[in-house]
Parts: sequence; structure tokens; C-alpha cells
Amino acid sequence: MTARDFTERDIHLALDGELPDEERAAFEAWLEANPEMKARNNRFGTDREALRLALADALDEPVPARFTKLVVGDPGTRMLQRSRWWQAAAAAVLLATGAAGGYVAGTRGIGTEDAVADRFAEEAVAAYVVYAAEKRHAVEVPAADGEHMRSWLSARIGLRLVTPDLTADGFQLVGGRLLPAGTGKAAMLLYEDAEGNRISLFVTSESGSYAKGTYAERNGPTAVYWLDKGYGCAVVGALPQERLAIVARNAYRQLIEGAESKV
Amino acid sequence: MDDRKAAILGEIPRLRRYARALLRDRDSADDLVQDCLERALARLDNWQTGESPRKWLFTIMHHLFIDQMRKVSRRGEMAMLPLDGDEALAVPSVQVENIASREILDALQAIAPERRAAIVTVAIEGFSYAEAANILGIPAGTLMSRISRGREDLRALLDDRARRRSLKVVEK
Repeated sequence: MTARDFTERDIHLALDGELPDEERAAFEAWLEANPEMKARNNRFGTDREALRLALADALDEPVPARFTKLVVGDPGTRMLQRSRWWQAAAAAVLLATGAAGGYVAGTRGIGTEDAVADRFAEEAVAAYVVYAAEKRHAVEVPAADGEHMRSWLSARIGLRLVTPDLTADGFQLVGGRLLPAGTGKAAMLLYEDAEGNRISLFVTSESGSYAKGTYAERNGPTAVYWLDKGYGCAVVGALPQERLAIVARNAYRQLIEGAESKV
Repeated sequence: MDDRKAAILGEIPRLRRYARALLRDRDSADDLVQDCLERALARLDNWQTGESPRKWLFTIMHHLFIDQMRKVSRRGEMAMLPLDGDEALAVPSVQVENIASREILDALQAIAPERRAAIVTVAIEGFSYAEAANILGIPAGTLMSRISRGREDLRALLDDRARRRSLKVVEK
């Protein structure tokens, strides 16, 4: 006695409240007449209840103070609490992939583009690839002329540029240079540690967008970048991710403090 | 306080639940919420009057989630590791969960992120298909197929786990 032919698709529609009320009775009758479909319907329904139950507590938890503070005000501290949740997410996917006995989660072809951030990170990586490999001509102005370099690059890129002190992370300033970036200019500061590992800070004042992330091509250096408040900053290097992230955070904090400090 | 900020504050519990469904790990989920709030605050002017704060915030969070998943995959971190099922998703001890909850959340993490997001926006967060398709930025037909495939995946994983468990019992 069905008004139309139902299919498995209708099981999902019904579960999700998308089945028109007037079809409900006919759908129930269809389930009764198709035990296999009814069993399927029940399994999906059970799974959904289990999911809801498993996540139900989340709504009752008190909102952490850091979120309230973040929304209500105090914007100055926002950029300092940098997180790398996507790395945990990657690990979770990895682990879950193993757990599932061979299911490979596919994220290819997802149509979300963050073109501005990607372009910025690509420029920073390209600059690093070209100049960090240069032994004698990596920089235009050596660290010895630090005072001159800071005022020169600050004037060119249009923000008060400081050269972060990264000695705590084992890096000494080598020097800096001026580079094109998009339609504007960027300053690149190059640092080196005792083993000869180099990292670069790529800074512009051009950014109109807001993003942060980690960018890397396979077998290439990694860029940790932030775009915010009119700054763009990328820290690029071939270090292990954890170390690069620590150095990057330290560098970024000093850059922001320097740029925002009163002259 | 600004009305818009008050509206954002009111959505935080739901954002946390959504993030937790997407990422499983509570700290990672809260970091995602924080990213979402930061981006929302930086783009308050883009929020059109009349647009539901919930839909707006969920859209932002979903973009952050998918964007990072995409970057993670570009870095080649999605490669498979030979891990045994039981030790694979060790849940920190503070996260008290019963077995059923743990199994379903583990399974949810194991399915493709786009399917996971489709199921959660509709089945947990209660958005209509039209709203969910809008938040996820996909056609309604795509949403439907992600939901149905996602549910099949979940069921297959849970069946598989149940089968393994019964095998273990038999071996002892």
C-alpha cells in the first residue's frame, strides 16, 4: 500500500527528519514489509542514538574562561596561544586508519581554498629555498649592521620590524634582505644555528586576510605562518615540526610585540 | 556587551560539541573552537544581520577543519601506520566513557572527514539538509550521499569491531 517506491535513501531522510509527514505512514508500512530494510533502519537509528549519547555531555560543560575572555575582549593576548590541533587531528586520523584495519580516509579534492594564505606561504618557502642555500650571498645586510637593517627594512615594508632574539632556541641572526611579495614587499630575516641549520622569517605588512597554519611541500621545508591584523609572518625551515613550531612561536611573539610597541 | 558577541558566547557549547565530534581529542577540539572564535571575531563585519550566528560560526569552523585536513594530507601525514586496533585510539584517562560511546566515537574518527562532518551536522547538531549543505558548502545531493556512505562506513566499522571481539573471546 505504498504511495511511492521507497528506497534506502528514505531511511536516511526519515532518520534526519527530512521525510514529509504525509509519507511517514507509508514509509513505516514499507519497513514492515521489508525486514532487511527495517533491520538497516534500526541499526542506523541505534548508531545515531549512541552518537548523540556519547556527545551529550559536551553541552553541559561550563565554557572555559579563556573562551569567554577571548570573545568579550582582551584581543592583545589572542595570537600568543598558538595551537596545533590539526597535528593531533592528523595523528587521530592515522591511528583511526590503523584501527579500522585499512580504511584510508580521503581528504583529496575537498574544495576549500585558502588561496591567500597558500600564496603567502609559497612565497615564503620559495624565498627560503633560494636564499637559505646561498652560503656567502644569503643576505643583503649582515647582522653586524643590525640597526641599519632594521630601519631600512621597516621603512620598506611599512611596519616597525624588530629582529627577534632566537638565541634561546639556538639561532643567531645572519642578516636580512628585501624581497617582492605579491604586489608588495617583504623582509626576510635569516638565522642559523650551530649545526648550520637555517630558518627564515618572512614578514610583510600587506595581509588583508586572517589565517594561520603550516604549509609544506613533500620533501621541502615547512612554513609556519600567521596572517592577521595587517601582518603576514612565516617562519620557514627544514627542522623537525615540533622544534620549528617552538621557534616560530617565539619569533612571532617578538615580532608582534616589536611592531606594536611605541617607538 | 555587543549583541553579536553575546550571540557568539551562547554558541560556544555547541561549537565545542561539534569540534569534539570532528576531532575526538578534547584539547584539540577546544583548540579548534579557539581558532574558530578568533576568526569569527576578526570577521565580525562579514556577519550579515539576520544570518543565524550558529550557521555562521559552524561554517567558519568547518572551513578551518577541512582546510587543515587538506594541509595535513598534503604533508603526507595520512599514510597508514601498522597499528593494532585496541591500542590505536588510547583515550586519556580523564575522558570517562563507556564502551559503547568509545566505540562509536572511535568509529566516527575513522571515517573520511567530509562524511564525518556531514553526519555530525545533521544527526547531532540537528541542522536540516538545506542548512547543513550550506554550512559545508556542498550541494544537497552530495550531502545526502556523504551521510548515507558515512553511516554505512560507521556500521561496517562497528560490525567489524564486534566480530573481532567475539573472535578474541573464542581464542581464549
